[in-house]
Formats: sequence, C-alpha cells, structure tokens
Amino acid sequence: MAKPTRRDFLRMGAAAAGSAAVARVLTACGAQVPPAVPTAAPTATPAPTEAAIGRATTAPVDTATVAPTAAPLPDLAVARNGTPEELVRRAIAALGGMSTFVPKGSNVIIKPNICVAYHTYEYAATTNPWVVATLVRMCLEAGAGSVKVMDFGFGGTQEAAYAISGIQEQVQAAGGEMVPMPMFKFVRTQIPAAVEQKEVFAFEDALKTDVLINVPIAKVHGLCRLTLGMKNLMGLVRDRPVLHASISQNLADLASLFKPQLTVLDAVRTLVSNGPTGGSLDDVKVLNTVVASRDLVAADSFGATLFGLQPDKLGYVKAATAMGLGRSDLQNLKIEEIQAGG
Amino acid sequence: MSTETPVVPAKSARPRRRPLRAGGAWVNARKAVQYSGLIAFVALFLWSRQGGWAAGVINIPMRLDPLLVLLSAIASRTLVAGSALVLVTLIGTLIVGRAWCGWLCPLGTVFDLLSPQRKRHLSPPESWRGVKYVVLLTALVAALLGNLTLLFLDPLAILLRTLTVSVWSAANQAITAAEGALYAVPFLAQPISTLDTWLRPALLPMTPVYYRDALLVAAFFVGLLLLDRLAPRFWCRYLCPLGGMLGLLSKTALFQRRLKEECKGCTLCTDLCPTGTIDPAKGYASDPGECTMCLDCLESCPRGLTTFAPALSRPKWNEYDPSRRQALLALGSAAAAVALFRSDALSARLSPTLLRPPGVPDVNDDLAALTRCTRCSECIRACPTGGLQPAVLDAGVEGLGSPILMPRLGYCDYSCNACGQVCPVQAIPPLSLDEKRTRVIGLASIDRSRCLPWSSYTPCIVCEEMCPLPAKAIQLEEARVWAPDGTQVDLQLPHVLRERCIGCGICEYKCPVNGQAAIRVYNSRAGQQV
Repeated sequence: MAKPTRRDFLRMGAAAAGSAAVARVLTACGAQVPPAVPTAAPTATPAPTEAAIGRATTAPVDTATVAPTAAPLPDLAVARNGTPEELVRRAIAALGGMSTFVPKGSNVIIKPNICVAYHTYEYAATTNPWVVATLVRMCLEAGAGSVKVMDFGFGGTQEAAYAISGIQEQVQAAGGEMVPMPMFKFVRTQIPAAVEQKEVFAFEDALKTDVLINVPIAKVHGLCRLTLGMKNLMGLVRDRPVLHASISQNLADLASLFKPQLTVLDAVRTLVSNGPTGGSLDDVKVLNTVVASRDLVAADSFGATLFGLQPDKLGYVKAATAMGLGRSDLQNLKIEEIQAGG
Repeated sequence: MSTETPVVPAKSARPRRRPLRAGGAWVNARKAVQYSGLIAFVALFLWSRQGGWAAGVINIPMRLDPLLVLLSAIASRTLVAGSALVLVTLIGTLIVGRAWCGWLCPLGTVFDLLSPQRKRHLSPPESWRGVKYVVLLTALVAALLGNLTLLFLDPLAILLRTLTVSVWSAANQAITAAEGALYAVPFLAQPISTLDTWLRPALLPMTPVYYRDALLVAAFFVGLLLLDRLAPRFWCRYLCPLGGMLGLLSKTALFQRRLKEECKGCTLCTDLCPTGTIDPAKGYASDPGECTMCLDCLESCPRGLTTFAPALSRPKWNEYDPSRRQALLALGSAAAAVALFRSDALSARLSPTLLRPPGVPDVNDDLAALTRCTRCSECIRACPTGGLQPAVLDAGVEGLGSPILMPRLGYCDYSCNACGQVCPVQAIPPLSLDEKRTRVIGLASIDRSRCLPWSSYTPCIVCEEMCPLPAKAIQLEEARVWAPDGTQVDLQLPHVLRERCIGCGICEYKCPVNGQAAIRVYNSRAGQQV
C-alpha cells in the first residue's frame, strides 16, 4: 500500500475529528429527549422501571428455574455474629442466593464506600474489604461475566483510597477488578422521576451495567444523620457539594436513577461519631452485622435501627418512600434474622 | 612557534561556508548521554506524583545542582543531609569543565533539540557573556544576605516549573478533551477507556489539576526559546547563573580544548561551536569557562589539531569575566535589592491568605520559606491535588516561585506527605504522615454573610463533612430559626474550632458557594509576636 501523503493524513484526521464532533452533537441532541434516552435507565434488563416495592423483579432469569421455597423470600435478611464472609453468604442465601441477582454472563458493578484515603478499614470509614471480596467471589461463582468495583470518593486521590482502604487488595485476590473513574466518563444524565435534581453527571458504566450491587458501610453523618445505602449512591455522580442544600430529596432522586438490584449494608464495624470521615478507633462500634435487601429504602430503614433511630427520622428515607421507591414500614416487612456463627 | 599571526578578516566580511555536520564517536556519545539525561529528567518528573518513585530518587537532579544547594545552604546557614551530591558536580567540573552544560543539563539539551544549527545573522557582543557572571555574583551576595529570589533563574528549576505548571497541565487538558470527544463515538468508547487506564493515574491525575499563571511561566520559557534563535545556546552563553558558576570553576579544568599547533584558520570549528567561544582573534583558542565540552570541534578539524587531552594550566581571563568593578556592582545591587525585597516581603507576610506547605517552621516573617526554598517546584509537582502553587507576588517579590497553598485550587491531602519528602533542601521538613497531620498550615474561618446556613436558611455543612480530623474542627450548632417567609427552619450552623483546625483547606475547596468560598483558610501567624 502506498505510503499516505500529508494530504491523505490531513484528510483522514479531518474525517475522524468530524465524525467525533457529529457523534457528540447527535448524542447531545438525544439527551434532550428524556423518556427515550437509554442512559436514563439504570439496567439493561427488560424489567419494568417503576419501583418494585418489596418484590424481586430485577433479574431477567425465568423465576421458574429458581426452586420456589415453601415460604416467600424475605424482604430483608439480617445476619449477625460471624466473620464478614459468613455474614454476607448467609444473608444473601436467605434472599434466594446470588444467582437470583446475577444472571450468567452479566456485567456486575459493586459499589462500596471508598470515600476517603485517610484510614485503614479498622476505622470504619470505608466498607469492610472482606465484605466486598465475598460479594466479588459470589458473583463470579454465579457466573458473572465481569465484576467491577469502584467508588468516586471525596478525600485524597482515588488510587490512594483504593489501596489504603484495603479493598483493592481483597478484590483483586477474589478475582474482581478495581476500576478508576475518570472525569470524561461522567455523562450528563436526566432523571425523569426526579422531584428536584433533574440532571446529574453520572458515571456511565454504572448506568449501563447489568447488575448494580450497593455496598455501603453504616456511619453517622452530620447533615444526613446517617450515611447508609442511599447516600452511598453519591459515589456514582460528580459535582456533589451543591446537592447538599436539599440532600433528602436529592438522594431520593438519585435512588430513582440508579436502582441497585441488591443492597448489602456493612455493619461489621460502624462509625458512631465524627462521621463520615472517622479517624479514631474510639468512634468505632463493632456490630458484626450485615443487612441485605432488594429494597434500598428498607435496608436504610433497618440500618437506622442499628443506631437507635426510627426510619422516619431520616429525611431521605421519607422522601424515597413518598416517591414509591421502597418501603420503610419495618413492622410490615418480612425480616429474616440469622445467627451466622459462634 | 610561528612568528606570524594569521591575518583574519572580520567575521561579517568572510564568505559564509556551510558548516559541516558534527560527527564522530565522541559527538554521538555526547548526544546519547544528553538524550538519556533529558529522558531521565522527564521520567523523574512524570513519576514524581504522590505514590510514584522514591522521593530521594526524584529530586536527584536538584540535589546535583550546586547553584540551588549551595546558595540555599548559604542563605539558611544550614547544610542538609543529601547535599553531598553536589560534590559530584563540583569535582566533576574541576575535571571536565562545563560538561554538565553540554552533556547533562536538560534545559541545554532542549535548546540543542529545538534549535538545530543554522545560520545566525546576529553575533551578539562578547561582553554580554559577563551578564551571567553578574547574575551569579548578585545571587551569591544576596544568598549571604539571606535572599534566594534569583534562584528562579536556575535552569533545572525553570524546566521543572515549566513542565509542571504549563506543559503537563495543558497536555492534560488536551488529552482529556480528546478523550471526551472520542468517547462519544460508539465504537471508540472501549478503546478510549482502555487507553485511559494506561494514562491515569500513572501519568495523569484522575481529577484535573490546575495551575495559575501557567501562561506567564510558558511565556518565559518561550522567550528563552526565542532568544535561542538569536544565537545558539543564548541562555547558556549570556544569562545562566549556573553556567556562570560552572564556568568560573572550569577555568582550570583538567580537560580543556586546546590546539596542538597553530591552525590555518579554516573556521570550520568556529562555525560549529554552539557557544561561539572559538575566537579567531585569539588564534582559534576557546575559553574553557564558555566551552560546554560538546566535542563538535574535535573530529571536525580537517587537520586534527583539536585536543582535549588532560593537562594542568593557568586560568586565562577575558574581558567579560567578572572584574572587581562588576563584583562591587553585584554587591551593591544585591544589598539594595534584598533590603527592598525584605520590606516588601514583610508587608506581604501580613497577607491574610499566605499559606505555606505543612511543617514549614512557624516563624513570623516567613523566613523559613524565603531563606531556604530553592524555587525548584518539586513540591508543587508532587502535590497530588494541585494545592501547592508557585507564588508570584503573594509573598512579595522576594518569594517569587516559592510554594504557597491555595485551597480553592487544591486542598492539603490528609493522606499525603509528599512535599516534605521531595524537597531537595528540606525547606519543607520531611515529616512522617502522623507528624504532618498535626502541623498547622492556617486556620479556617467562616464568612457568615456567605455561608448558606448562616445567611440563606439553606442546609449545607459540606465543610463539616469533609473535615478529615478524627475530632472534627467544625462543630454543628442545631438551631431552629425563623426564615424571612415566616416559616420555622431547622438548621445546622457550622462553627470552626480554632484550637483543632490544621488549615488543610478541604473545607474551602469543597464549599459549594460560588466564587469565593464561605469558609476560607487564613494565615494564622500574621501579626503575632514570635
């Protein structure tokens, strides 16, 4: 093939730049038509996007293949007194097993809390690494195509946070992938069901993934009183300081966008003071508890009780319940308590 | 020895001959070393972010630089461990002359690469060579008086500052924009994603880092490149204070250019010499204080008359070498300038927002920074958030180029102690992470007229959330207040606990109020008696 001349090279370059610009314009045009844009939908499943209250409708797997148990599946599973691995496995088994959440070959994103790079996991500022690693293993055992772990924190660099929290080491040992979150992958996204925050810059992979597993750690928080599953979703968007002015409604709006299939609340160690950044072991209360649910709002509601609070004390739980995103009436939910170990 | 000196026509009258390309094994060796040196310098730059290569490796070029190390030692009256490395350069120069300039200096290599040999129509006067000696002497006297401002003219500092503030920062902007545009093309999304994992965080920061005055720094550098069009190695010949220092040491270098016997004056070597030091009027001899040992002349001489064989010799002084008069001029202007700068800097240290990197000793008049900092920009490069910025006038003219923390551009990362690790002269002390977390940079203060809860009945408290201290320096007061529209609002009002605050600035960085933040970190030492 003849060596391209300078003119050919410039022509090719102009064509590439032109097609990139045209593609940009086209996608930008598309983004202004809210209901039709696929980026607004959090998953690729054909399941209905309206909130499934207390029901497991997230997996496209034919539910007939999951052997129906004598009793219906619980809304919440609470595992206590075990190692992190035992707690996670028992809690998810009670919900029907990981295969009810992760179809074979699906892409999974696990979203722990890796908000700061300041302290190791004992300080309960970031999700327990073994909780995350167990979830990675369970997803791979269920036949997931890929398991990616990510969070966009607020203190320190991402790479330092991934390492110092201990999550990177355990995830990689379990066969998962730590994914950095560069700025250009946060795309302008409409939130059709939003009451206040109609538009955010959301991480595109999290919007397009097949399965999103939300793995917060239970901590106290100045503004929110507690940071649990709904607050954890903030790690998938950028430009967050402005969201705090109306945090309760904004968190509910985010929950309507992302809709994780599974929420696993890490209460192995909880932060009971000086949250969400922590830094003193005196502020850590060891509960050795893991709460799992398909319903993000229910998980947060139960999480409130771990701190001695009623769910309706959390503004974002009230807002989410009002939007129909989940349930907070714990007395009416089927909660299975499991003693995992000795 | 011939009794006749060759009659040489004036340079401008002689017919111009196309210069031979310099060749030969020595020249190739020199070029190989030059390019390796530049690549090594750039590699050290790229991997000098927090979490990169060991700090003691990263700052090797700066610790080899006698201008930075010696003048900092003189001005601060302290010698730091690790300074001994300059002996390599000093002793090396006594042996091989200004080989640093010709073989190692990355700025010199940049000049050689970007300005290939071509006809120069201008031949600046030889007396201009004296300017670099005057700059050097002025810097030396100023250092004796405790001032290091002129170190911003060090060639390594210039190159590192330009790479950090202008080149790499702009490259990041361009690369990120290209990534963003190409990512929108469907079939390119995955390749761009993969490419990005190679670039970040290894080479580029995950979140963009901005430097102010990037244009100023770039303009200065471009100015030097343009000067190079007037004459090759213009900076090295006429302006570089490090070149001046090494030049003075080279007068008695063991290895120097000499002619074996009188030459016929073909001027091939004269045309090749990048520093133009081969002087027809002096029998084609060269000044070892100007010769950068590039060895272009060695194998180009058709009669093989050039030799660099070692021999002891007496120094020869030229008319541009520093004279007593120039030394006095340097002394006088340095003293006057230092006095002026000091009054200017002291008035600027009352600047309420002058913040120094953590651990810089808490001395009222900013002396620790001004008398020790070499303006090399290693700390600015190492800072992962871009919080450390080069000062322009913020610390007075005296503080030009020294690092200041600007929290609105980048906070001091609670998990980082990189700046102290890389500083070649320990102007920023190398603290452990636990020690660094206790050092006070400044104190935060809330502007209640701008803070959202205080002024607008709007919840916020991002500052309290971000505060990294185990016992937070911001406390929330729960209040129930009457809003102007008559409703009762429950608010959390932030208060800074000044006895706890270390002034890291993450509160100011993250404050969602537009423009100037509602919580700012202030210089906590201004106006206090020592």
